[in-house]
Amino acid sequence: MKTICVIPAYNEDRRLAGVIAKVRPLVDAVVVVDDGSKKKIEGLAELAGVFVLRHPINRGQGAALQTGSDYALKLGADIIIHFDADDQFAAAEIPEVIAPLLSQEADVVFGSRFLGKKSNIPKIKKYIVMPLGRFANRLWGVRTSDPQSGFRAYTRKVAQSFRIENDRMAHCSEILIKLSQAGWRIQEIPITVTYHEYGQKLGGGFRILKDLFLQKIRQ
Amino acid sequence: MLQQVIALAFIAIFIWRLSLQKKKKQIGNNEFVLWLVFWLMGALAIIFIRSLDKILVNLGFSGSGINFLLYLAVISLFYLVFKLRLKISKLEKDLTDLVREITLTK
Repeated sequence: MKTICVIPAYNEDRRLAGVIAKVRPLVDAVVVVDDGSKKKIEGLAELAGVFVLRHPINRGQGAALQTGSDYALKLGADIIIHFDADDQFAAAEIPEVIAPLLSQEADVVFGSRFLGKKSNIPKIKKYIVMPLGRFANRLWGVRTSDPQSGFRAYTRKVAQSFRIENDRMAHCSEILIKLSQAGWRIQEIPITVTYHEYGQKLGGGFRILKDLFLQKIRQ
Repeated sequence: MLQQVIALAFIAIFIWRLSLQKKKKQIGNNEFVLWLVFWLMGALAIIFIRSLDKILVNLGFSGSGINFLLYLAVISLFYLVFKLRLKISKLEKDLTDLVREITLTK
């Protein structure tokens, strides 16, 4: 099974090399999508099994993930993993996340910050933003414990079955919604998240709702 | 009367700006005609505001003609903003597709 990890990066030159060094030994290849960073990502392309693509202009994390996933499919990926460039996820947990796919018990696996493992989630995020996100997801029939999971993995078949249409941060909910509604076998695996920065704020949550609403109208 | 003159002056400015845009070829023929008809209808409604009042009363509305025009304008603006938002989001999608195409074919 060829496992490829897609890492979207935007102005993440500080932590990216460290993340790749931890991820690369655990997968067959890493696809980094530089999403139009101000300072071009350099020096990574020489590493074996690391492919660096570059969006000429910034299009958002969702767009970068779709570009990376398309490229991973071209490389013949059987399993595609989405991982963040800011070192908030633990690379050592990749084998646990892809295990249900390798044993064919699931088609999609989402990492969850709310299934026991200890993460330093900021309080406002944990007690206000996340419950609101969970509530919004319920409206679309999503019942996962983590409403905004960015650490996920799915099979080639799943990757070929849908497109990420939300270029910005609403892609997390969009993926959850589309894959839940399509009836794929979904599993959640506990993951550890280390926050170096605050990340998505309450305003960002409202923007996600707006983007999901507009996407619904466009359909 | 003074309010009507001011409103008509504004419409005259908008039509003048419209003809400038047409001259500079910033808008096409159809769009020019559409906006010209829109502003001319607005001007007519302002000139015949009293007659509009009577028509509205006959239709059973209690407000004056100017209020009616205002409501109509707000509804039209909301609709236009909404249409623009959808148009922009379509353009954003096309832009992303283009960026992806360039990135993957490099």
